Amino acid sequence: MKKKDFYNELIEFLELDPVDLDENTEFTSIEGYDSMAVMSLIAFCDEKFGTKINAQQIQKLTTVGSLMDFLGREKFEN
Amino acid sequence: MGSAIGQIAYYLPEKVITNKDLEEQFKKWEAEKIFKKIGIAERHVVDGSQTALDLAYEASVKVLENYKKEDIDFLILCTQSPDYFLPTSSCVLQDKLGLRKDSGAFDFNLGCSGFVYGLAVSKGLISAGIAKNIILVMSETYSRHIHPLDLANRTIFGDGAAATIIESSETEKIYGFVLGTDGSGMQNLIVPNGGMRHLKDPGAEETINSSGDVSSANCLYMNGPEIFNFTIDVVPVAVHDVLEKNNLTLDQIDYVVFHQANKYMIDFLRKKLGIPENKFFMDMADTGNTVSATIPIGLKKALDQELIKTGDKVLLCGFGVGYSWGATVIQI
Repeated sequence: MKKKDFYNELIEFLELDPVDLDENTEFTSIEGYDSMAVMSLIAFCDEKFGTKINAQQIQKLTTVGSLMDFLGREKFEN
Repeated sequence: MGSAIGQIAYYLPEKVITNKDLEEQFKKWEAEKIFKKIGIAERHVVDGSQTALDLAYEASVKVLENYKKEDIDFLILCTQSPDYFLPTSSCVLQDKLGLRKDSGAFDFNLGCSGFVYGLAVSKGLISAGIAKNIILVMSETYSRHIHPLDLANRTIFGDGAAATIIESSETEKIYGFVLGTDGSGMQNLIVPNGGMRHLKDPGAEETINSSGDVSSANCLYMNGPEIFNFTIDVVPVAVHDVLEKNNLTLDQIDYVVFHQANKYMIDFLRKKLGIPENKFFMDMADTGNTVSATIPIGLKKALDQELIKTGDKVLLCGFGVGYSWGATVIQI
């Protein structure tokens, strides 16, 4: 998956306001990244990547890049 | 002897908390955003000292309005908020309702899976000839366990009770069940203090999570992400297994009523299972998540709105606190 497409899908799935994301964006700095967005994140990982992400793993996420590491870097291309 | 669901009635306490009320108090989430995401616009909560038993009484009176209460020979109450450790709340309710003294009554403590378990037990009692006509009551007041400054949980949960009459029937209209339990999830939806393991602690420390929700060990704690993951794990399997157990396919099911946890979660499960929207009940807008009462309330609403009709096969699935889950198919 192209990184740009990943960022756009993430924003859409998490129902965030349109924002420029890149892998260095900290989740905590994203407007609207709240407990409702976390629900969407779980659904996103399951539906788009067939991957479970648990509460502890979500807590450990720092940047969007850390999510990509979790999902597997090999899945993404520039 | 077969069994069938007869009448259903529900009761919601008078006090209403709207999304606007929460928006004004907490100034954090927009009312519209809450409704759009989780499908809840308002929730009813008990006032003062009103208890789950009081709500159970009101729902039971309603359901008995068009029923001969002398025909009831068993009362089952599902609640996690009993009036007392002892005596059993259903004994108190038997007396308040003036039910026959030669009838059975007991409480059981389950949450979101409660209605399915209650149906299972009712079916067993009737098929064993132990009871003929059962009043099965779900009643919950999670608001009394939730910290006043815990926005997340105050947004989701509402109080309410539903009373269902399960009657003996010539034809079996409550089919086979799948039930599940996984106590390793106990910490993810819990009121830690107040039972016998940890008594209520007046000095319990207040904690604030990363979202700003306040709680303490005396209050309800829910790990939303873990609960969501749990439902993704067990619900699709339970639905598949209950269909298989009853030699049915999803196409043969006329309607589906899941525990109405929140719109986002159950719509995700619906899509994952490939259940069409027009066959799936999803309405918690004016109740919030009323725990064990959501399924009977959903059935009642579906009947009133003619989303289901006599003869329809309806798949029910409850899942949550415990962890506990169950699924069955009924014929309306």
